[in-house]
Amino acid sequence: MTVTTRALDTADWAASFTEANNADPEIQAHGKYFTCSYLLDMTDHTFVVQMSRGNVVDIAIDPGPLDVPYQFALRASADTWRNFGVPVPAPMYHGIWAASFQRDMKLEGDILVLMQNLRCLTRQIELLRTVGVPV
Amino acid sequence: MSKISPVTGHYVDVDVDGLLYKVFYLENGTGQPLVCQHTAGCHNHQWRGLLEDEEITENYRVIAYDLPRHGKSDPPENTEWWTEEYQLSADHFANFIVALCDALELENPIFMGSSFGGNIALQLALRHPDRFAGVIPVEGADYSPGFYLDWWQHPHANAAQVCASGVWDLMAPQSPETDRWKTWFYYSQGSESFRGDLHFYSVDHDLRGKLADIDGDRCPVVMLTGDYDYLTTPEDSARTAAQIPNAEFIEMKEIGHFPMSENHAVFRGYLIRALEVLQDKAGKTVTTR
Repeated sequence: MTVTTRALDTADWAASFTEANNADPEIQAHGKYFTCSYLLDMTDHTFVVQMSRGNVVDIAIDPGPLDVPYQFALRASADTWRNFGVPVPAPMYHGIWAASFQRDMKLEGDILVLMQNLRCLTRQIELLRTVGVPV
Repeated sequence: MSKISPVTGHYVDVDVDGLLYKVFYLENGTGQPLVCQHTAGCHNHQWRGLLEDEEITENYRVIAYDLPRHGKSDPPENTEWWTEEYQLSADHFANFIVALCDALELENPIFMGSSFGGNIALQLALRHPDRFAGVIPVEGADYSPGFYLDWWQHPHANAAQVCASGVWDLMAPQSPETDRWKTWFYYSQGSESFRGDLHFYSVDHDLRGKLADIDGDRCPVVMLTGDYDYLTTPEDSARTAAQIPNAEFIEMKEIGHFPMSENHAVFRGYLIRALEVLQDKAGKTVTTR
C-alpha cells in the first residue's frame, strides 16, 4: 500500500529521532546495555545509528560505502518505511518481524546483536510512528 | 470490600503416552465445556478476560489449562525430562488433550485454541470428531512453517526478551497497551518451552492434503484469525477453512495472533459469533445472547 506524505529533511529527521529516543521512558528504563550500531536502509536514504547505553550518540546520514561500520542492517523499500512512519501502521507494516515475514524487509548482518537488543530496538523502531520517516 | 474472582484453580492428574502429568487449570461458568488452549510458550492467563466474561460463562463452563511445561503444569513427573530436548509432537499433543478431557469427565466439550492451539484444534477435528462437539481454531492453518527458530533459546541472547519482543509484532497496534504488555510479560516466562512447542507448530503439524478428511458434520469447525497476524494470516486460515467440509472462517479486524490476550473486548464479539455458528452447525439450541 502507498502512503503519501512529504518526506522529512534527513538532518531534521535524525535530530527528531535522536530526541525521541533519548527522551523515551521505556528505552531509558531498559536500555542500560543497548549499545550497538545498525544500518537503516530506506532505499532513498541510508543511516547508521550508533547507540550507547540507550542513547543515540550519532546518526550518519547517507554514509559512503566504507565510511561507517555497523553490526546489522534493516533494509526495505522507501514505500515500506513510509508505511512504518504513520501513527497506526496497516497490517504487516507494524514491526520488523511482520515486514520481514510478509513484506520486503530484510534483516542482515550479525543478527545475534539484533536479538540481544531486540526489546529496545522494537520500541525504537516504533518511534517512527510519531517521528515519521525521511523518505 | 475485597473483590474475589469467581475463577477457581485446580490440579488434575493426567496419564498419557506413559507420561504422568499434574495439570493446572482455571475454570469458571456452567454449561457446555469450552476447553481453551493457550499459545506456544505461554500459559492460561491469556484467557483471563474470557474466564471472567459473565455473558459467556453463563452458558459455558470455560476451562483454561496450562499445557505441561507451561505456567503451573510441571514437566512429566516420571521421566528425567531434563536429559532430553523438548520437541512437542502432534500425536502427543492430541493424545494429551483427549486424556485431559477424559480425566475431567467432560461431555460434549468444545475445544478452542490459539496459534499452535488452533493447529491442534484442526488435528483434534481430524483425529477425534466423536470426542468434541466442535472446534474453534484461532490463528490456525493447515501448515505454518518458519517459527521453529534457535533464537528463542540462544544462550548468547536474553531468551526471555527475545521470546517476548519476538512475538510483540504479532499483536495489533490498536490493542490496549496494558494487555499487550501483559502478553509480553507472559512470554518472558516461557522461553524453555517455546521452541519445543514450535516444533509442533512449524514442523510436525502439516495437514496439507488431509483437510478434506475432517468430518465437519460430526465435529464442526469455525476458524477465527486476526488481520495483524503475520504468522498465520487471514489468507492462510481462509484457505484452510475452504478445504474442510462444513467449516467457516471469520476474519477478525484490528487484532493479531493473541486475540483473547491482547484484546478480549474485541475478541469476545467474534467468539460469540463463532459459538453461535458452531451451535447452528451442530443443530443445538444453546446460544449466547
